[in-house]
Amino acid sequence: MGFAHFWLSGFDQIRTSFWAYLLVGLQNGALYAMIAVGYTLVYGVLGLINFAHGDVFMYGGFGAAFLTRGILGSSVASGWATVGLIFAGIAMGGLVSVGVAVSVERVAYRPLRRRHAPKLAFLISAIGASYFLETLAGKEFGYGTNLFPAQVFPVGQTMFSVFGTPVRTLTIITVVAGAATLIVADRLVRATKLGRGIRAVAQDSETSSLMGVNIEKTITLTFIVGGALAGAAGFLYSLQSGIEWNSGVELGIYAFTAAVLGGIGNLRGAALGGMVIGLFGSFAVPFAFEGNTQWVEIYTFLILIAVLIFRPTGILGEKLGRTA
Amino acid sequence: MTFVRLPQVKRLVSIVLVTAVVTLMTGESGNATTPPTTGPHGAFFERVSYFGLFGARRWMVFLTIGLLVYGFTFLYERYMPPVRRKVRTVTALPMRLVQKRTSRFAMYAVAIVILLAIPHIVTQTYWMYLIVEQVGVWILLAEGLNVVVGFAGLLDLGYVAFYAIGAYTTAWMTGVLPAPPFLHHVIPTLWVIPIAVLAAMAVGVMLGIPTLRLRGDYLAIVTLGFALIVDDYVGNQNGITGGGEGSLQVPHFAIDLGFWHYHWGIGPVPYYYLCLIFVALFMVIFTLLEHSRVGRSWVAIREDEVAAESIGINPLKYKVMAFAIGAASGGFAGVLSAGLIGNINPTMFQYQASINILILVIFGGMGSIWGVALGAVFVQLITSYMDNYQPWGFQINDLYMYIGALLIVMMIFRPAGLMPSRRRKREIQSFEETGEGHLDDVLTVDDS
Amino acid sequence: MSVETAVQSETIFDVKNITLRFGGVVSLRDVSLHMKRGEILAVIGPNGAGKTSLFNSLTGVYEPQEGHIDFTDRHGRTISVIGKKTHRIARAGVSRTFQASRVFSALTVFENVKIGAESHAGIGAVGAIVRGPATRRGERVSDDLTLELLDFVGLRKDANLIASALSYGGRRRLEIARAIATDPDVILLDEPAAGTNPSEKLELAALIRRVRDERSISVLLIEHDMKLVMSLAERIYVLNFGGVLAEGTPAEIRANQSVVEAYLGTSTTEEKG
Repeated sequence: MGFAHFWLSGFDQIRTSFWAYLLVGLQNGALYAMIAVGYTLVYGVLGLINFAHGDVFMYGGFGAAFLTRGILGSSVASGWATVGLIFAGIAMGGLVSVGVAVSVERVAYRPLRRRHAPKLAFLISAIGASYFLETLAGKEFGYGTNLFPAQVFPVGQTMFSVFGTPVRTLTIITVVAGAATLIVADRLVRATKLGRGIRAVAQDSETSSLMGVNIEKTITLTFIVGGALAGAAGFLYSLQSGIEWNSGVELGIYAFTAAVLGGIGNLRGAALGGMVIGLFGSFAVPFAFEGNTQWVEIYTFLILIAVLIFRPTGILGEKLGRTA
Repeated sequence: MTFVRLPQVKRLVSIVLVTAVVTLMTGESGNATTPPTTGPHGAFFERVSYFGLFGARRWMVFLTIGLLVYGFTFLYERYMPPVRRKVRTVTALPMRLVQKRTSRFAMYAVAIVILLAIPHIVTQTYWMYLIVEQVGVWILLAEGLNVVVGFAGLLDLGYVAFYAIGAYTTAWMTGVLPAPPFLHHVIPTLWVIPIAVLAAMAVGVMLGIPTLRLRGDYLAIVTLGFALIVDDYVGNQNGITGGGEGSLQVPHFAIDLGFWHYHWGIGPVPYYYLCLIFVALFMVIFTLLEHSRVGRSWVAIREDEVAAESIGINPLKYKVMAFAIGAASGGFAGVLSAGLIGNINPTMFQYQASINILILVIFGGMGSIWGVALGAVFVQLITSYMDNYQPWGFQINDLYMYIGALLIVMMIFRPAGLMPSRRRKREIQSFEETGEGHLDDVLTVDDS
Repeated sequence: MSVETAVQSETIFDVKNITLRFGGVVSLRDVSLHMKRGEILAVIGPNGAGKTSLFNSLTGVYEPQEGHIDFTDRHGRTISVIGKKTHRIARAGVSRTFQASRVFSALTVFENVKIGAESHAGIGAVGAIVRGPATRRGERVSDDLTLELLDFVGLRKDANLIASALSYGGRRRLEIARAIATDPDVILLDEPAAGTNPSEKLELAALIRRVRDERSISVLLIEHDMKLVMSLAERIYVLNFGGVLAEGTPAEIRANQSVVEAYLGTSTTEEKG
């Protein structure tokens, strides 16, 4: 009865370290949510999976890491310096990512839009962009490099404890920063004129342009919002795990799953989906065979397939009468 | 501000940016020990000298080249069109001759003779080995993916998984994996061929049935995930697949039929002929399929799935069929590699390889059987050459960088590929005759 | 129900109280329709009335949340349409054309029709490779049918032309030829006269009548051109705001006040009451 034992011991592990798993899940969830927004917005507006979005995240991470290292060197920051550096890191990450995201749009997607290329061409171009960006980063920064930003706060520092489990500073920062940026993005998309343009184009691009919405500007804005969030996530992620040339691949798939789960095209859905996937991934760790975390990837992937087959519109998506 | 909008200025900016990127791409690589900016810094500021005559920084050299290209584009626009027209009238007659039946047979005959003679032309074992491993196997993979992507229009980013299944099934059934073979009975390698092919096809069907209902982009992500998982799985299951080290030596192919004994050995030449036979076989089969009801149904589904359904075509059935048939070629490529290389390990089946195969298909022309074959030969030979002789410090790692850039460029400028399939040639002809109709059909029609 | 009888069924489509919703929008509201075999039936109504949604429901593209749709083929077999996949319904004997002609642009005119013709041939992948006598016979049969149909619609001379090179009207006829090639019991034509000039309209009307008379295919069409509808259709359903407003012969419909009101200002040839 090894099988039953496996499942029971898994649940037991969750019971004993519940808060630890929860905290990790929240931290990862915040990151997935931020990255997922980029996927979901671009898909809503262009109908395209932006394969290169994971790499946008990665470049933001590198950019922020370089900046903080440049400022702080090898010392450790504290107090206001910490706060300042965190803002700087997030800003720099966002900035670099926006640059990459907009470049990708200009180079890989816009020319195809001009030519009215079919979906397949967009997908192939997206993949090409992704591979180009990844290997370029690997080449320039080193395939073996795992870059950490400067120590904006002491590593492993904890702030307080919850039910006996210490809560790390990094977790707090990630969750707070994630929530803040997500709220700003949500406000932007819902309340501002430009943001409403995004939703209008996502629903009906022809009518929107007839009503005076500048399609190209809106598309660029979509990439900017998605890129900024991804870049911020890149910085936050690098504080935890460092950035590598292919950091975007795995996180990209998790974030994309989150976007689909939450309802593709729906920003709040992406945030919700991110949290769900983050928590799920964390609580699934005890159930990884032989402690091999690749099983978590497999489980997440199975969720993706299940959602796509049984409820492709996601949790917060709309259900339509069966359409072609 | 209007100055900036001028087309000439825009072109200049584009060319300068492209030049900058190319400089970066071809420059020095960074690594973990040197400061992270070494790569970009070296790419632009490294001193190079040519012919010992003068020395300059890289950015200066590349900028000069870029400006020259810029100037050249204007000359091209001015003087090329009449030249192109001339060329077209001159080549019209030979082109028409090529279309004729008899001359095509003649071409095939010549091609066959050359192909059979290659082992005598290429005497170095190393290169012969390379031709089978890097070119032959990849032609098979590209043709298989061509059925999936080119015929049926399905973007399968996990195609390499079929290759892996073919290879690992061979290793398993010949008893060189840690896991004992089926029914503890070791099978000679040659007889594993049909088994491995069927295994790959079966997996194609099993994967296809749930996932091929999905829209194109979702299918792409799901197949990518599948490839990632297979990649991870075979690399980690030490007990079953031998993990990172892979299998033991797979026994070479052998025929032992009473009167007829033939053993493939270590030398590549017998594998070359085996590969040649199967490449020809698959190409024939795929051509027959293309010009059949199945092939026409694929075109219909690819063009307009809703219209295809309205005349009774079941899209799922034909998509799964495409998956399975494409998988057959991939599976066989796996067996061939297993027999040739012997040691099957996960580095052969990384998910990036799917992209590599995709570029072969796109470069040669999606849906064009000959185009894909020739495109595969061309790209693979160039890649092997660059990997072996490393001109300009080419690193094999950078390969995907070039592939990625090439994919984007191809989608923008020549989506039909190197050798468009005959269907597309027809459109180009009819376009020129009537002035109507779509050029580069499948890849420029908006299929909303 | 599955016994082949010499007597052909009277009813071909029996639509009972279907309601189709998309999120909050009701596209079809308690719609019932009855189509007899051998008739030319028209569905008219202002834009947005739900005509194409009705077509889509009859062909399995949309799935109404309420109601029943029964289709009876020439052998008297009745199937329930709702819940079935489009291609299954097509194979059962329901063909359609689309508002914007959806021909296969990458194929020739001949191949377009041939795909329709061979959809019942049952040639699979193995047959395609082996090319045995059964396959070759099937190919000959579908080739002959294709040529016959191209003659029928007048596209024989364009057989080797790429479909995308056809004129607008040519594409219309090609789509009809392809739809007939599957040997259906009924053909649904979605605005076949849209964008045609008066002489083309006459040819189209003649073609539609020949489809019914010479090939024994019942015709259900959506149209905006009132003159065409009145001269061609034997019975008319009028839809408005997703519901059936009226039903009857052309004379009855012309005299119906509520129909006239619904169409006020939208028809080019209707007289204002």
